[in-house]
Amino acid sequence: MERLLVIEDGDEYEEFARLFLADRYEVVPARSATEALAAMETPGADAMLIDLRFERADEADLLGDADEMAARLFAGDRARAARWLKEQQGTLILGALRDAGHAQPAVFVHDFPARRLANLRALYGRVGAVPSFDAQAIVRALERLA
Amino acid sequence: MLKGSQRSDMRHVGRLCALCVLLFAGCSEGSSEADAGPPVAERWARARALWHIRRDPGAWAAWHAIDPDTPEGREARALLEEAEPHYRRLAAQVADGDPRVRETFERAVRIAPMDPALYLPLARAYRTQARTHPENSVLVIRAVEYYRKFLALRPDHPEAPAARRELARLDPEASRLFFERPLEATEAVAPPAASASPPAPTWPFGVAFAALALAGAAVVLLVIRSRRRAESLGELASRRPELHPAIAYLVGSLRHELLKHRIGAVGDAVDALGRGAASEEQRAFLRGRLFGGEPLDRAWEGHLGAFERALGPELDLRRRDPAFRRADRAIRRIASLAPRVEAEERRAVARLARAHGELRALDRHLAKLVRRLVRTPVDGALLRAVVDEVRGEYAAGRVALDEVSIRAPEPAPRVEVFRVDLVLVLKNVVRNAILAVGQEAPPRRIGLDVSTEVELTGEETVRIRVRDTSTERFTTEDIYARRMDRGLGLVTAALGRYDGAIAVEPGDDGWEKAVVVRFFRAFDDDDEAREA
Repeated sequence: MERLLVIEDGDEYEEFARLFLADRYEVVPARSATEALAAMETPGADAMLIDLRFERADEADLLGDADEMAARLFAGDRARAARWLKEQQGTLILGALRDAGHAQPAVFVHDFPARRLANLRALYGRVGAVPSFDAQAIVRALERLA
Repeated sequence: MLKGSQRSDMRHVGRLCALCVLLFAGCSEGSSEADAGPPVAERWARARALWHIRRDPGAWAAWHAIDPDTPEGREARALLEEAEPHYRRLAAQVADGDPRVRETFERAVRIAPMDPALYLPLARAYRTQARTHPENSVLVIRAVEYYRKFLALRPDHPEAPAARRELARLDPEASRLFFERPLEATEAVAPPAASASPPAPTWPFGVAFAALALAGAAVVLLVIRSRRRAESLGELASRRPELHPAIAYLVGSLRHELLKHRIGAVGDAVDALGRGAASEEQRAFLRGRLFGGEPLDRAWEGHLGAFERALGPELDLRRRDPAFRRADRAIRRIASLAPRVEAEERRAVARLARAHGELRALDRHLAKLVRRLVRTPVDGALLRAVVDEVRGEYAAGRVALDEVSIRAPEPAPRVEVFRVDLVLVLKNVVRNAILAVGQEAPPRRIGLDVSTEVELTGEETVRIRVRDTSTERFTTEDIYARRMDRGLGLVTAALGRYDGAIAVEPGDDGWEKAVVVRFFRAFDDDDEAREA
């Protein structure tokens, strides 16, 4: 059975995946970039289901430099930059996984604008998105990317 | 006491009345400005004001009269040429019923006035549409308006006689104002009394007549609008752009907390239950999300209450907004079905599936609505308007610039910033650049350009760069630390409201430095197709 790495800051995605995707995938959970990178080494995974927003994560666990982002994007507002890192953390974790050589298909449950999804594909290769929790749509998206 | 909507209507009426006054004023002024003898720079400034401030349809002649052998004349001709394709496209879009007409018109208007000769194809396009859609009286009004403008400004055009006849068929009474001699029976569908009408007045009275019609329409609009009471969320968003940030936040919360994690997440469980194939774990999952924790109807009420508190009494989601009304019924149905769904009664499960579908529809509706909120295109016209406004100021207007270059991509990227605030930010940066180069010897140059960058998150940022040839040195930190007293405190405050930033960068290609303002890009509706 293929393994699905579920990356999120809570347990909603994992619960959903175990209930509705268990016939297709063995679910491997990860709660941060560090855990995701470790899980991709052992036990490894064939695909990824990624939460975009990590609002419950500690700032120390986040990828990205809040100070740099504050200066470059948020008129020096560090708190806003830190919030943005949480809101977009899933894409940054995907970037770290790609940098580490893990090119497996990745799907977000988020209604990205088409242009943004195209940008993500240009940056990170095999990336898909489904607008809501829908097991069949997730499976179809992963199959298309396989 | 006037309600907010009435105050807004009064402002609209005020604007229309001001337009009427300008039109009346135009009757006596004619085009003498272009014939006067002030220096070309002053004539050009007046010509720009005639259009950008007064929106005088006669501005085209004033622009065209600027000597094309001068820098001002070349700039005028270049802008007229840039605007013309947009104006030409208008007639085709009207003829096709293309909804982008307004966008095209606004874009063209921001660049330069319209060649009066183009009023005729526009009038004819509206006339054709009016025939196709006789129920829409606005189309006839528009057609008449453009025929009048054409005949007022180009009475000797070869097509003018045909235009008079066409106008006469649409509006015999008004058309008499544009005939140089009494109508003949074969020329127009006019009542017999027409031939006994007084001598035809000259065109300014026609404009005055149009102004009166506009004022009348404004009063009718006020009466109709003042009778309207509560509104749907979409109506409120259309009318009150200043509420867009609040609407986006409230909709985002509702969608994420309730529609995604409680409703969207149980879609597969509802399906499985309907097929009689739900596992015990899936049933528990459904029960937990729909019937566990805070009761669904109470959570829903909480969100609706937040909308109403934040957006005011003009909003009535339950009665005026069909999508919310249906969702409201669906929420109550789901809440009432709890014991029967848990008992897995077949009809109750079917009703649950239908209610779930209504809520998913609301989610899609809200996603679409949010994508339509405040978006300002960062195009050449906007940058040009900023430069023009700054150059119209006393101090900046005294700086003789040797070059103003403006470059913006097509199609223009959009940002989620109110236009008025974006203009405020850019005017400050441009003003500082002009005043700084004014301290230096010629050549004095400024340049504005727009580009986009892709972030690691897949988002894009729009970079608006203002370059100049001043050797004055300052840094990004100087701006944020407010060590510069040039209105940049206002700029950083505005940037903070819109997730924007500002930075000083080295110049290149002969420029001394660049001040870069950056905002996140708002993706256009055209880009909003979703993954299947």
